[in-house]
Amino acid sequence: MTAVILKSLKKSFGAVNVIKGVDLEVASGEFCVFVGPSGCGKSTLLRIIAGLESATDGEIWIDGREVSGVEPSRRGIAMVFQSYALYPHLTVRENIGFGLSLAKLPKAEIKSKVDAAGAALQLGPLMDRKPRALSGGQRQRVAIGRAIVRDPKVFLFDEPLSNLDAALRAQMRIELTDLHRRLGATMIYVTHDQVEAMTMADKIVVLNAGGIEQVGTPMDLYNHPVSPFVAGFIGSPKMNLYDGAVAQAMGCATYGIRPEHVTLSASEGKWQGKVRHVEHLGADTVVYLDVPRLGDLVARAAGELKVAHGDTLWASPVESREFRFA
Amino acid sequence: MKERPSPYPYWFVLPAAVIFVTLFLVPTVASFWFSLTRWDLFTTTFIGLDNYRQFFKEPQLTRSLFNTVVYAVITSGTKSVLGLLLAVALTSGLWGQGFLRTVVFFPVLVSTIGVGITFATLMHPTKGLINVSLAAIGLDGPGWLTNATLAIYSVAMIDLWKGIGLATVIYIAGLSAISPDYYEAARIDGATRMQQFWRVTVPLVRPATVTVVTLSLIGGLRSFDLIWATTRGGPGFSSDVLASVIYKQYQAGFYGLSTAGNVILFLMIAVIILPLTWWFNRREVDL
Amino acid sequence: MTRRQYVTGMIAMALAGVIFILPFVFIFLTAMKTKKDASLLTFTWPKEWHLAQNFLDVLKTQNYQLLLAYFNSSVITVGAVAMLIVFGALVGYVLQRRQSRWNNLIFGAVLVGLIVPPAVVPTIWVMQGLHLFKTIHGMIFIQVAYGLAFSVLLYRSFIATIPRDLDEAAIIDGARPLQVFFKVILPLLKPVTVTLIVVQSIAIFNDFTNPLYYLPGKDNVTVQLTLFNFQSQFVSQFNLLFMNILLVTIPPLIVFIFFNRQIVAGMTAGAVKG
Repeated sequence: MTAVILKSLKKSFGAVNVIKGVDLEVASGEFCVFVGPSGCGKSTLLRIIAGLESATDGEIWIDGREVSGVEPSRRGIAMVFQSYALYPHLTVRENIGFGLSLAKLPKAEIKSKVDAAGAALQLGPLMDRKPRALSGGQRQRVAIGRAIVRDPKVFLFDEPLSNLDAALRAQMRIELTDLHRRLGATMIYVTHDQVEAMTMADKIVVLNAGGIEQVGTPMDLYNHPVSPFVAGFIGSPKMNLYDGAVAQAMGCATYGIRPEHVTLSASEGKWQGKVRHVEHLGADTVVYLDVPRLGDLVARAAGELKVAHGDTLWASPVESREFRFA
Repeated sequence: MKERPSPYPYWFVLPAAVIFVTLFLVPTVASFWFSLTRWDLFTTTFIGLDNYRQFFKEPQLTRSLFNTVVYAVITSGTKSVLGLLLAVALTSGLWGQGFLRTVVFFPVLVSTIGVGITFATLMHPTKGLINVSLAAIGLDGPGWLTNATLAIYSVAMIDLWKGIGLATVIYIAGLSAISPDYYEAARIDGATRMQQFWRVTVPLVRPATVTVVTLSLIGGLRSFDLIWATTRGGPGFSSDVLASVIYKQYQAGFYGLSTAGNVILFLMIAVIILPLTWWFNRREVDL
Repeated sequence: MTRRQYVTGMIAMALAGVIFILPFVFIFLTAMKTKKDASLLTFTWPKEWHLAQNFLDVLKTQNYQLLLAYFNSSVITVGAVAMLIVFGALVGYVLQRRQSRWNNLIFGAVLVGLIVPPAVVPTIWVMQGLHLFKTIHGMIFIQVAYGLAFSVLLYRSFIATIPRDLDEAAIIDGARPLQVFFKVILPLLKPVTVTLIVVQSIAIFNDFTNPLYYLPGKDNVTVQLTLFNFQSQFVSQFNLLFMNILLVTIPPLIVFIFFNRQIVAGMTAGAVKG
């Protein structure tokens, strides 16, 4: 059963077209990530699904119902905000139970639901604290708790990990994926970080300037990007992309090769260049070459490479991994 | 190693301190002593708490204590409630709301004496615009400032006219500090407009509420200009407040009594404001 | 904009018009009328426009007392505001930058200054002792004493946003404390200074109570005192009385038109910090 269907969705603010006709289906239980650069419309799209903004045109179906005119609270959704939106004057327990108390449910029922959500997120000892006494990761779990307690058909996440430091982000990625597995719920997740997209998603939707560039599993997008934009967006360090004369010589409009698919040699290769910059990461070495015919070329090699600034090296692409975009 | 003198030397504070201590602190401390004396143009005689007893015995003086509190509570209470409602209205995207904010705020900047005289004129029992307009729709307007029981409340209304703009502007600043995320989360949780107001706006606008209540209470308790410009404490003594009594006793040469009034005013403010501030701080919200 | 917002807006405008604008229109119209017309106290268009005539009559009253009043008020305002800026900034600066035991004391004094009502008769007693009573410069010092708390409060919170690095860079360059203050810090305080100048000027200009107590006498009239006294002077000449009110309202109006943003910022500055 498809949880969310978007048909020809358009959104403009005055004369500016922010969403230019989006068609999408999210299956029930799927973890779907909207990813794209700033301003591509991913947050707007999420807010339209939530009902916080209305679409200028098109249809939104959630769990078999067209919900275009329906209030956010009646769409069967729950949202986790980037800022968490935890009420500073309420305890964790009161925050999680906020929506339930608005609906005037009996106190016993509220307590049992809140306790269940708290247990699911290991918030037990924190239930009577106020948000200011919690760490970033704990606050995030409370925000998720507030969403869980609504028992929604679809969870919406708006860049929830942006405010956390790198180590915490890595940990939370795992926790969120675990949560998804446990609940089996449909989750739509917005981020600008392609690492989050690649590691967490069942399905990635790459957005650019208000339109969908490509939809697919993480490995689909990595191995078979349909456009230079997707190719350059997924994968780090970025894919080497060349157009103009270089691409023409290769027989296409844009030529691309990923740094991890460029082999380096001290003696022979397709392109010769001078080392402009080296990054020793321990497990890998990233080498930035200045190649006369191409310009910049980034190559990644496993392990520790004894290379220094100014050295001359040869680089060759792995032919089966080359991309030629029309 | 010689310790470098601080680039923030204490003597920077000196000019301000000299003026403040001499002309504010010294008189305040001295007032406690003088309030215990019969002090006139020529002599100072210690009389203990007699001045205070007079305040609580003479009906005119006792009335002023009552008026002061009533005036302060009414103006402060109304400003805190009405100010918030106005601020919410003026941040809701009404047509012409920028102009409305300006119009509501301008009276705050105008001379209190000017406002007093103007409203005394408008409130004239027979020729004043207010009663003339009421008569036009068949209502008999009272003597706003000439009726002994009504006078102090009429002045409180003028105070509200003049001061509501400041409360509104402070609340508008407080409202702008509330992140829209809170409202959106509440919308998703199904909160109605009323629920959003009571359970999101009111708690989160607390810093502004504290400021408005505190400022308007202090201002209300100390109020003098408006009462002096409209009724001079009359008719009789029915609209006297502490500040006007302080002046009247000074004019009459009863300096000790006047100063006792000052001390009572000081204590009144302290007794009301300190617990209030403590109570507010206990429930402080960390935004 | 939704239709509801338009309609509510219109209704609000009409109400605001009646409540807030009408009194000012009344002042203006009455100030333009002849003596007879004005004494009717009606809200009508003037039968004859006596703008210039009324203006001159008010000005000439009591030997051009109004001009003297404006002069005195201006001197007091300018003198007091200048001191409030410099002295207030100096205290705010030390209070914010220097960590010491005295800070709590100074901050306590600020709170006292904001809340406690001045003890007027003892203040007169002190001023008499210092030969400041009934003098313009005495009045200036009073306004400074009463206005310092607010100034220090605003300056202190604003200086908190100026990075200490700037002071230290200047010190390394060899600047002495006063130079650091006047050459580095004070210029950066311009926004607060502008706000304070505007807010304090209006407050001092509109002040009635303090000149009433500390500046009695015909030579020392201020604008507000003059207006008050003219009530008995113009007991049957409402047109002149209201012309006076109009004249007293104009300076704050002008300041408001140009400095609206700063005024509102200043008034709310204490607010959001609480």
